Amino acid sequence: MKKSCIAMLLAGGQGSRLYALTQNVAKPSVPFGGKYRIIDFPLSNCANSGIDTVGVLTQYKPLQLNSYIGTGQPWDLDVSDGGVYILPPYLGAHEQGSWFTGTANAIYQNLAFIENYDPENVLILSGDHIYKMDYAKMLKEHLEKDAACTIAVLQVSLEEATRFGIMNVGEDGYVSEFEEKPKHPKSDLASMGIYIFNWQKLRKYLIEDEADPNSSKDFGKNIIPNMLKNGEKLWPYRFDGYWRDVGTITSLWDANMDMLSTTLINLYDPDWPISSRSPVCPPHYTGKKAEIVHSIVTEGCEIEGHVENSVLSPSVRVGEGAKVLYSVLMPGAVVEPGATVEYAIVGENTVIKAGAHVGAEPDGTDAWGVATCGPDITIREGAVIPAAAMIYTGEEV
Amino acid sequence: MRDYHGIIFAYHDEPALRDLTANRTAASLPFCSRYRLIDFALSSLRNAGILDVGVIMQRDYQSLLDHIGSSKAWDMSRKSGGLRMLPPFGLPQYHTGNYNGTIEALNAVATYIRRIPQKHVVLLLGNMAANIDLDAVIRQHEKAGTDATAICAGQGLESLHSNYILGEDGLVQYIDLFRTGEAKGIPSLEGYIFKKDKLLELMDVCQTRNLFRFHQDAITYFLNEAGGKMDVYVHPGYAKIIRSVDEYYEASRDVLTPAVRHELFPADRPVRTKIHEDVSTYYGEQAVSRNSLVGDNCIIEGEIEDCIVFSGCHIGVGAKLKGCILMRHCVVEPGARLEYVIADKAARFSENSVLIGSPKLPTVVPKDEHI
Repeated sequence: MKKSCIAMLLAGGQGSRLYALTQNVAKPSVPFGGKYRIIDFPLSNCANSGIDTVGVLTQYKPLQLNSYIGTGQPWDLDVSDGGVYILPPYLGAHEQGSWFTGTANAIYQNLAFIENYDPENVLILSGDHIYKMDYAKMLKEHLEKDAACTIAVLQVSLEEATRFGIMNVGEDGYVSEFEEKPKHPKSDLASMGIYIFNWQKLRKYLIEDEADPNSSKDFGKNIIPNMLKNGEKLWPYRFDGYWRDVGTITSLWDANMDMLSTTLINLYDPDWPISSRSPVCPPHYTGKKAEIVHSIVTEGCEIEGHVENSVLSPSVRVGEGAKVLYSVLMPGAVVEPGATVEYAIVGENTVIKAGAHVGAEPDGTDAWGVATCGPDITIREGAVIPAAAMIYTGEEV
Repeated sequence: MRDYHGIIFAYHDEPALRDLTANRTAASLPFCSRYRLIDFALSSLRNAGILDVGVIMQRDYQSLLDHIGSSKAWDMSRKSGGLRMLPPFGLPQYHTGNYNGTIEALNAVATYIRRIPQKHVVLLLGNMAANIDLDAVIRQHEKAGTDATAICAGQGLESLHSNYILGEDGLVQYIDLFRTGEAKGIPSLEGYIFKKDKLLELMDVCQTRNLFRFHQDAITYFLNEAGGKMDVYVHPGYAKIIRSVDEYYEASRDVLTPAVRHELFPADRPVRTKIHEDVSTYYGEQAVSRNSLVGDNCIIEGEIEDCIVFSGCHIGVGAKLKGCILMRHCVVEPGARLEYVIADKAARFSENSVLIGSPKLPTVVPKDEHI
């Protein structure tokens, strides 16, 4: 069946800069903002934008991601003529086939999937951004501008621009030049890694790129520059909402803290729900001595202690006299009575034993950072985990 | 497939629940911040692997239909078998008035019961807060080898009627339906496992004699005339049948006790429900929340104590609530003060309004009401 636009979501990256948090799971399935996992954002955006066919390209440690996505029902993506598909790398006859060697190669290896739907356009997404975006508006502009490719761009400061792929725009408004992490940026329009391609054009460039032995098979490094070189029309779609890349511990922590403010990103908007697979726990309970201030709390939590400026995922327990400040507690994390967790990220099912102290207030030095404990760790009684520490699963602490 | 079929009685329209059942049956009464009472029966069946289930309903069942939906939340949306909603069919007399009793309700769906492929039927009330380990009930039922097993309360149910008195063989000797003075025996939770053939026999006998009631007519016949053997399973956890506002309020308050909560929601037998909410609850800078249960998607900026707050509620700055139950989407504007109030869905309390009930007689505010 012919579709106007289908989405391909790149979810295979390791997320190596999240260290212990992605030791055993792919970055898109890292818990985020209370009830969510990172991938909930692009999946919900697709569903809300009317895109009902999404291929999710997985590669690194996909087990949890696969079971999380399941049939796609939590996002209403369980439809009969489309829906959400997990697309892992595969082997063909005569042992042809390979791991995905780059973002463009991942799509190339799934040409057959896309051709099933014979779409006019393909939306390329990545699974590590937090934002709400109506792809239907972007598609409309893409069609109006008759572009071969439309790239979502965000206005950033010129200092920040050195960390992004930057689009320079000509007088006609179309993209004239693309620079990856320029030292001296000429424009402040940063690529958000969200592309809509005319499928026939993309197909041609993917096949050509695959044949080029010198290519690194990457959208930003190869496909986009090649299209520019050949004079294709590339349109920058300006997005001015909340958008964060959560690829590092600091940015993940920062973005979680942003969820406490409804002015940055409103998750309570019934017109644009971000959906998630709910674990269906009892409602959260706040004890007789509990204090919860400027925080988000969700199902299954049992709070007896003090929680301030923090983001709690399902089934977190905070014991009596325990303190949780400026922290992110992932599902099933336990802070025992009298323990303190501050400026920290605590992984799934990690237990902070009584009297332990994780993290520290910022001291103004460059050495300071958010303390991180990976999943399934027990921090022993009275232990002190300093600022910027990174505790991996399996470590004795 | 297990050789057991579930039947849930969800037709009860208890007058003592007053406004709370104006537009719903007791089984679809919202409970404990995110559930409806029928979730307990459905989840007990689901957790024992019983996925073929009939839900007997008679009237005011819109909210029940909406809640159960495709029954996917309990894995009962099956290609073969699964959950069936059973409004009255067959004789026209069943469409008017209320069912006179459980046997009449069963007879109203007799063709369904006859076609049940399994050998045993599990009967459960839809309006009971109890997480029953049906695996354990079935194990005991099969060991005893009786025609029937009655599920009874092990704790806390001070029932003045329907108590089972056991004989020396450990099986039921007789049922005490009413008793003046001190109750004796084991109080029934009105849940049963029956051999399907036996149940059909009881339905036929009652139909013939124009009798309707389960305990008074059917069970008495079964024990006295038919010489039926009935074992008793004592449910060790919390259980409460909800038939009045008082019982509803009491059960809601009970859930604030950790021990009760852990008996109703054990980790290995989760209570499943329809999922509405996609976002966590936010506590503001001045929020205070003590000894309360709160659903998701709420914004709590005021103070709550000993409260049950359902999802989607907004409690404004400076509002003070004590001992209240707020169902979904209630709004309490800044400065309002509520004590011992049960507010039905989407009720709204204006700025600085005051409404005080008493713990013995909580004030019920109907759905969509604006105070």
